[in-house]
Amino acid sequence: MLQRRNFMVVTTAWLLPASQWLIRPADAQGANDKASALIKSIGDQLVSVVNGPGGDRDKRARLTEIIDSGVDVDGVARFCLGRFWRTASADQQRRYMELFHQVLVNNITSKIGDYRGVRFQMGRTQRREDDAVVSTVVERPNNPPTNVDWIVSSPASDPKIIDVVAEGTSLRLTQRQDYASFLSHNNNNIDALINAMRQQVAEAG
Amino acid sequence: MPATPSRLLVITAVLLGGLGGCATPPPASDPDAVADYKETNDPLEPTNRAIYAFNNALDTAILKPVAQGYRYVVPASVRGGIHNSLANLGSPVQFSNDVLEGKPRRAGDTTMRFLINTTAGVLGFFDVASDWGYPNHDSDFGMTMALWGIPAGPYLFLPVFGPSDPRDGIGLGVNAVMDPFTWVGQGAAVRALDWSRWVMNGIDQRERHLDDIDNIKKTALDPYATFRSLYRQHRTSQIDDARNDNRATIPVWFPQSATPGQVTYSPTASRN
Repeated sequence: MLQRRNFMVVTTAWLLPASQWLIRPADAQGANDKASALIKSIGDQLVSVVNGPGGDRDKRARLTEIIDSGVDVDGVARFCLGRFWRTASADQQRRYMELFHQVLVNNITSKIGDYRGVRFQMGRTQRREDDAVVSTVVERPNNPPTNVDWIVSSPASDPKIIDVVAEGTSLRLTQRQDYASFLSHNNNNIDALINAMRQQVAEAG
Repeated sequence: MPATPSRLLVITAVLLGGLGGCATPPPASDPDAVADYKETNDPLEPTNRAIYAFNNALDTAILKPVAQGYRYVVPASVRGGIHNSLANLGSPVQFSNDVLEGKPRRAGDTTMRFLINTTAGVLGFFDVASDWGYPNHDSDFGMTMALWGIPAGPYLFLPVFGPSDPRDGIGLGVNAVMDPFTWVGQGAAVRALDWSRWVMNGIDQRERHLDDIDNIKKTALDPYATFRSLYRQHRTSQIDDARNDNRATIPVWFPQSATPGQVTYSPTASRN
């Protein structure tokens, strides 16, 4: 009896790590499905707002909601400031974060006109380190189809978009290098960057 | 020797080698700034920015209005056809580079595209080949050198041609030399055709990027740096697409594939 129990314990002990190893790919699959579902849902919402009725003001409000729900705006903002995030004061960080949010919404809403009639097709989803990469093809009238990859962080637990890669060009990396160059030509003064961003937001109305 | 666009290009590339004007590297006491400087890899930044300003003025005065006029006058379907025809004329250069890159399947795609589009596609006006399973891909001598392991070098902003680097600058020149149209025929008519093809190419490319460039200039705090970043990322992605395209050369109709599962086609190849 005792021996049999021992046998059971030993087998279960052996099986445990094996089963964990077996579950892993399934987990990854679930995470990929979640990431893919997020992009499908966000994409459908964006398309319906862009192609739907309503004035620009109304559309802007709805786009802001969609961005807030699907995008890790704070994470993207920190990434775009790069090494300067560490040297910024708490007050600068707060003002920068607030402006970044508005700049992001402005940049997206200013393109509504260009994207009228937009459609997208879902492609495959792959894992890249901790993130999921969801491929899509975006088609808009009078333009060649564009390959757009959406990078989704922590796809298993709390999937959020952290980057959009169009034809191999990363939106957040481009933004980061834009800010880095601006800062290096303004004595690395974060207040200068904040002022320039404020100006941008004011001009966009 | 009469001036043709491609010959001028070779001369420009040589002359540019002599231009100076360097950025001051940051002091070694600021390691973060030094790291940024190295990552940016743009030691000629002041010269580059001057050429960028020059190109911008040229663009505002000539190229952009022409491209806008082209978009206004010519319907989208015809513009698409003209773009396809121009791309079809580029097939010989594309094919040579596919071969030099050691990408037989890409060379095959280019050959099939050229044969199908020149005939069924009415001298390249319709891109029938894409629908028949021969999608387009990018291939030029800059990419070829990248696949040979030659580094890009520092950023260069070329007059008229815009964002580049030494590798791509040389690539432009070699592409022109490779182009049979550079060497075929003589006389005023041939020269006129050669020029109009280059001019048309410029207008076509500019028209296709009208909205993108406007958007970047509107939203970037430093458009020069943004274009630099975009150019490099785009080139890297084109080169990676070529590098990762390792489809087997066994035809799909061959009864027993010797290496099953090796047929990998990357759908991320960019379509231009």
